[in-house]
Amino acid sequence: MASLIGFYSLVLGVIISFIITFFSVKNFKEPIVFDKKIIHFSFLQFFLVLISFLGLIVSFVNSDFSNETVFNNSHTTKPLFYKITGTWGNHEGSLLLWLLVLTLFAVLFIIKSNKQPTRYRILTLLFQQLIILGFFIFVLKTSSPFNYIYPVPNEGLGLNPILQDPALAIHPPILYLGYVGSSIIFSSTLAAVVLNYISKEWASHIKDWVIISWIFLTLGILLGSIWAYYELGWGGFWFWDPVENVSLMPWLALTTLIHCILVLEKRLLLTSWVVILSISTFTLSMCGTFLVRSGILNSVHTFANDPERGLFILIFLFSLIFMSLFVFFFFYRENDKTDYSIFFLSKETSIIVNNWFMMYFLSVVLIGTTYPIFLEVISSEKISVGPPFYNKLIAPFLIPFLFFMAIGPKLKWVKSDLSDKIYLILFLIISLFLSIFIVQNFKIEFLLNTILITFAFYLFFITVRDFVSKKYKNLSQNLAHFGFSLFILSILFNNIFATEVITNLKVGDTFKTEKFNINFESLSQKNKQNYKSIVGKLIIENSKGSIEVMEPELRIYNQPNISTSEADIKTGFLNDKFMTINIVQNQEYFNVRYQIKPFMIWIWFSILLITSGGLISMLKKKYEN
Amino acid sequence: MKIKLLPITVTFLFLIFFLVFFLGLKNPNIYKPNINEKKEIPFFTAKLFNSTTSINSNEIFVGKNFYLLNIWSSWCVPCRYEHEFLIKLNKEENLKIVGLNYKDNVKNAKNYLEELSNPYDISISDKSGLIAIEWGAYGVPETFLIHEKKILKKIIGPITSDLMKEIKELINL
Amino acid sequence: MYGRKVKLRFFFVISILIVLILSVSLILKSLEENVVYFQSPSEIKNFAELKKKKIRIGGMVKKNSISADSNEISFIITDFKNEINVSYNGVLPNLFEEGKGVVAEGFLKDRNYFLASKILAKHDENYMPPEVKAALEEK
Repeated sequence: MASLIGFYSLVLGVIISFIITFFSVKNFKEPIVFDKKIIHFSFLQFFLVLISFLGLIVSFVNSDFSNETVFNNSHTTKPLFYKITGTWGNHEGSLLLWLLVLTLFAVLFIIKSNKQPTRYRILTLLFQQLIILGFFIFVLKTSSPFNYIYPVPNEGLGLNPILQDPALAIHPPILYLGYVGSSIIFSSTLAAVVLNYISKEWASHIKDWVIISWIFLTLGILLGSIWAYYELGWGGFWFWDPVENVSLMPWLALTTLIHCILVLEKRLLLTSWVVILSISTFTLSMCGTFLVRSGILNSVHTFANDPERGLFILIFLFSLIFMSLFVFFFFYRENDKTDYSIFFLSKETSIIVNNWFMMYFLSVVLIGTTYPIFLEVISSEKISVGPPFYNKLIAPFLIPFLFFMAIGPKLKWVKSDLSDKIYLILFLIISLFLSIFIVQNFKIEFLLNTILITFAFYLFFITVRDFVSKKYKNLSQNLAHFGFSLFILSILFNNIFATEVITNLKVGDTFKTEKFNINFESLSQKNKQNYKSIVGKLIIENSKGSIEVMEPELRIYNQPNISTSEADIKTGFLNDKFMTINIVQNQEYFNVRYQIKPFMIWIWFSILLITSGGLISMLKKKYEN
Repeated sequence: MKIKLLPITVTFLFLIFFLVFFLGLKNPNIYKPNINEKKEIPFFTAKLFNSTTSINSNEIFVGKNFYLLNIWSSWCVPCRYEHEFLIKLNKEENLKIVGLNYKDNVKNAKNYLEELSNPYDISISDKSGLIAIEWGAYGVPETFLIHEKKILKKIIGPITSDLMKEIKELINL
Repeated sequence: MYGRKVKLRFFFVISILIVLILSVSLILKSLEENVVYFQSPSEIKNFAELKKKKIRIGGMVKKNSISADSNEISFIITDFKNEINVSYNGVLPNLFEEGKGVVAEGFLKDRNYFLASKILAKHDENYMPPEVKAALEEK
């Protein structure tokens, strides 16, 4: 029943889509007042998609296995929470969620843009409606979440247990808010280009949307990383896997866009940057969906693949790209009023320099991700591009990047000089000594690390100085940059000082190292609602005599029959202790991995700091108004 | 001149991207491997579907006939897609189709066959899933083409119209 | 002569081009060094010479081939035609089982012996690495 309602509201939604398009075109020709009908129908469309989405949730909660999506992804023994989150844990449901957020943002745009010119509003909504319509057809034609199966099966196939996790349950909606938020930026940029409306006012109006999408995208990626950290049992949080890369690419574009918008708002410069970045952010998000959903990429995160779906997204994606190219080349005109003179020592110069670095990082990730596809098509060689590629190409360039991040905010707009800025050099020397001190004391002879630590500290101290001297004028920027320095420092220390032991142990065995002993004391079994749990008890005694008990778990799920390792993680202020066990088939041995990872929690915390920078800049604007 | 060159280059660049992605889609990495193994079939004993009589593999795969062992289940969605092809294959004279009902509820399985019609010459059931393991099956559906107790072809995933043609060619050599 | 604005633009375009060419060549060069090729056991048997580079081997874990001691785990990867012995000291993925698909990354010691530094996990029980699928199909 719920599925039926869901299906028909979706179909109605498509019809509304055509109605909105019709009224928008009519209104666009005679733009005296903004037609109220567009508002009403957009709201109606949003509610229809919402009903459809709720319909799917109800089907999941009731375990209605006559619905193919529910049958494929749910099971009666699954806890209620995962029945609900299972709604968007699969391809069909997640697309419905995309659609829901798309229509939600269209409605929000109507509400928030009432001070903007009528023609601009209508055109933005028209572009947005085009995207919405594309997704409607995609959902209904290739991935309807409401397919009916008969005879009705008694039991579902279950949700992949590795996805049964709180962080991963809320990860997709948050990430989608970021992805889809960029659709509004895309639509409004195209509209602004067509109407030649790119101006300081437009910049400050669109800035909010950019920052909101950016916040959600950042949080979404953070959640995904946290999940990978404790669920995949590899002890890392970023593997340069294609699926991770496709979420990083729009993030890089969006972060660059934020900085460009700032310049545009102040000086009406970099308009073409803003246009191109707005277009690329959304197309990269779409491209991500394509690469992940079509199965064209090899990834450790497997998804259900279907070439027909891939073909549809591919055609849709490139139609949007070619449409934007057309709009850009035919309508885009440089603004005559722009003052082009850029002094080399100014805030905008440092932003431009770092924009280019960001573009470089983006192309590294893009090439690394798509190169295997190109090679396979051209020479049918199968390859994968590993983490060393990314580390090698990105790490050295972080050095100048960090430097410009540190000094850029200290420079003035238009033209600046270096008098009264002696502290900038002083801090650099302090950071260098500190870094050498650390490197010497811990015997890491690696030049690149020394320099990286130096510049990360440099950014760190310069941002801290502003907190101490209570310069709150640029609080949001300062906080975000401070967070970034902390992020780089934590990652560096995390990599350099990590300790790892991998061994195979039987119950009763002890593994000895110089610093600590690991004793596999016992093994216990428990039956849970939808899985069997095997918990090992391992005692770690270090040379100073302190004792830590680790209890890593193995879960053997009933439906589908999959085992997962649940790491036991002892999170601390300075380091995380991380342990996983795994069965070696037909052997008495257990594969045990123990890691001490320094500053793990600081990585998460620093990303939260960066995000809060964005949040504060939005709140501040509200407050000032 | 310069102004026109840029749009053309960029458009061209994206066209190349489109083409590569499109071609990449043509050989997608979906899970549907065909493995040719001229292996002896494993020996097993199974209950006839919907009865308590047991039958062993030597009694099933007799003579010079071709056999198609199809592992299916009523809860398996892709099995529904291949059903029409099984029915068409059933019309082949020198081919017998053996259905192995995998980890299924008998009532559901019966409904399934009543609804979609029964393409199997012999139906056996594998409630525990042990026989499927003996055959080295990865999941449902899975199909083996057998001749003189040797596996000629193994199809993982549902039979498609192309695969059906291939089977017809193999048995009419 | 050209105005200052035009000159500035010209200089700008040239410098962008140079940076672009430099970075692209840098990226391509490191790609060349860092890609990991995928091979099946049969391909390794037919190598003219052994590569020193890191490679990936894909196939099935042979039945009854897994053995373990406190240091390492050894097993055999097969593509039903040729086999290769693998020894590994590291974390095993959950879905590492006999008779299932596996991809190991590491270095070849000789034609029959492979030192793995990583075993790749897949999240899906029915998943067969696409490389394995392709390798098996080629036979």
